[in-house]
Amino acid sequence: MQGKCGLFFTSYQGEARIFQSGFQKIMIGLLVAGLLAAPFGLGSYLVSIMNLIFIAVIGAVSLNLLTGVCGQISLGHGAFIGVGAFAAGQCTLHGVPFPLAILTGGLITAMVGMVFGVPSLRLKGIYLAIATLAAQLVLEYTFLHGGELTGGSNGLLLNPPEILGFAFDSETRMYYLLFVFACLSLLMVSNIMRSKYGRAFVSIRDFYLSAEIVGVNLFWYKIIAFGVSSFLAGVAGGLWGHYTGYISGEQFNIGLSITYLAMVVIGGLGSVIGSVFGAVFLTLLPEVLNVLANGLSGWFPAINQVVGAIQHGVFGLVLILFLIYEPEGLAHRWRLIKAYWKLYPFAH
Amino acid sequence: MRVGKIITAACTMLLAGLMLFGCGGEEQKSAETKKADTTPIQVGGLVDMSGPTSSVGVPYAQGLKAGVQYVNANGGIDGRMIEFNLQDTAYNVQQGLSLYKKMVNAGAVCIQGYGSAVTEALVRNLAKDKVPDLSASYSAHLTDPKTAPYNFFVAADYSTQARAAIKYFKDNWTEARAPKIAFIYPDHPYGLAPIKGAKAYAEELGFEIVGDANVSLKAIDATTELLPLKDLAPDFCWIGGTTPSTSVILKSAKNIGMETTFFTNIWGSDENLPKLAGEDANGAFSNQAAAVYGQDVPGMKAIMELTNNEPQMTHFTRGFVSVLVMTEGLKRAAAKGGITGESLKDALETLRDFDPMGLAPAISYFPDDHRPNMAVFLYTIKDGKLTFVKEQILERRADWLGH
Repeated sequence: MQGKCGLFFTSYQGEARIFQSGFQKIMIGLLVAGLLAAPFGLGSYLVSIMNLIFIAVIGAVSLNLLTGVCGQISLGHGAFIGVGAFAAGQCTLHGVPFPLAILTGGLITAMVGMVFGVPSLRLKGIYLAIATLAAQLVLEYTFLHGGELTGGSNGLLLNPPEILGFAFDSETRMYYLLFVFACLSLLMVSNIMRSKYGRAFVSIRDFYLSAEIVGVNLFWYKIIAFGVSSFLAGVAGGLWGHYTGYISGEQFNIGLSITYLAMVVIGGLGSVIGSVFGAVFLTLLPEVLNVLANGLSGWFPAINQVVGAIQHGVFGLVLILFLIYEPEGLAHRWRLIKAYWKLYPFAH
Repeated sequence: MRVGKIITAACTMLLAGLMLFGCGGEEQKSAETKKADTTPIQVGGLVDMSGPTSSVGVPYAQGLKAGVQYVNANGGIDGRMIEFNLQDTAYNVQQGLSLYKKMVNAGAVCIQGYGSAVTEALVRNLAKDKVPDLSASYSAHLTDPKTAPYNFFVAADYSTQARAAIKYFKDNWTEARAPKIAFIYPDHPYGLAPIKGAKAYAEELGFEIVGDANVSLKAIDATTELLPLKDLAPDFCWIGGTTPSTSVILKSAKNIGMETTFFTNIWGSDENLPKLAGEDANGAFSNQAAAVYGQDVPGMKAIMELTNNEPQMTHFTRGFVSVLVMTEGLKRAAAKGGITGESLKDALETLRDFDPMGLAPAISYFPDDHRPNMAVFLYTIKDGKLTFVKEQILERRADWLGH
């Protein structure tokens, strides 16, 4: 394991810690403190962007666990997020307390994900991608024809989350709620990656035959990967539904699945921090384009009206450039930046 | 390695830009404007101009812009100009949501919306922020103020449109037997929205419902779906699609020799249909909520002047009407004391038979009923042109509200 100079481990537990050095802990502490204080300095628009980022982080890290860590490609992640949204939404509509509703939404999504994960034993790569695409289509159909359960073509109207009588009915309140869920999700995935399960997932991703030879039960671990990933996707969906207050099948289409896959690829496959980078990057991309367009609107008055079209183009271009020049994603770049400062001023 | 450096530099710039952007501090928060204020009135526009429904979104957006231009050229709202911030949502909910937040923070008192996905995702936010949204998503459930208190639109909802056409056909039915009707629609929220209500009303009027067919909005042929319907020989067929899918259905129907009267909803027919379907479009009926270009109504002169006699689609006119209705609301709100999102909503709810210069059926909103009217313009395609047939008016039945 790559450690810092002067950092020694005297136990395996020490080596497996998430935060290994005091410096790391201080930096993380400062980051968390900064994020907790952020809503006081940001306008409500920027807080709302942060809220979208937190939800995207949960969705991205869940897909990264499945695709990046375990190597099981999924084109149905958007639909799994939708399952969580509808399941959690139905729970709160029937009077289930919000935390329990989110948990139930996650568990129902986990079950659905595990069902659609069954073909993963036989299918790999592009074949599994098509199988999960089928899951996406089946679930989209279910959302539209789910009757009272999904509201059919009308969708479902949801109330803001409420915990012990405290309503999260403003952007700032939602910020703290989503921040907690995002942190918990990141911790959960980080811990899974350090565990026996995480190592089994990586071994399956790297070479399934070797994994099986050393005693990894492929079917069990693949199903578990689908289950845990879908659980977190369900949590993200439940939070999204209660954040926007309205859910319909149209929101959880193939485009959403592709966006999450792009987040994982751009952020860095198999990396927790990469999921965060990918989520931040792709959520901010349209916002930055809008800011640029507004800045340029003095010279090009009609530019605001084509930002959406430009956004599609830029999205595609960014994805291609990353695949060619930075296939390991932003996480790799982050590692290089850290290495640069660690070695500074002696680069070699 | 150079590319790596470029990527690092780009990431650093993105981060720096974000930090600078964030240092802007608290943005203008209140949607309220003071009385006798001469500052412009902020209005946001959220239209799909590059996404899947942009073919009609673009002319609709142009109609909105022309409407604002017209109002401002005629003195604005008591001397205050409308500042219209039109943005492209690309039919993306997340994009729409974040643009909406930005507009409300910048002081928008009203949104001119468009697509179903974004409009419906905003329902709760609009109520929370007290900002009315006049959109072009005409699903009936948005007309019930109990669930969507700040949503308005200027056309009859999809269900009312279908019911009005069904009523017209029943009134003109001369044969002794019950007329037979079938429904063709995409398996899509927009396609499914009016089906339940339309079928119930058709049954109520004594129609025999003979069948359904699902034709995708992206279909390039509908023969397979239409063959079973042909055997059922419906007298009337409802098409709940968009102009391209309608043209596919009309052409396929002609190919298999299907004899029926087709009628389409508001997004299923426009000036492009005869261009796409050619002669096969002749005889098809369509529901419209606004006059076609050049029609002899008082407001058309203003549109023709603004567009230099360059023909525009009916969606353009509807966008124009949406701005006229908003303007009337803003004027009433200003007269009552001040323009806020809430006062605009209250003002809109006082509209009674407001005539948007003849460009659309008269509009009324009530505090407990946001259906703009129960009227639909029926057109038929004759010699490749949309030809006005009748303004069909239904009674404002309470049990239809929201359905």
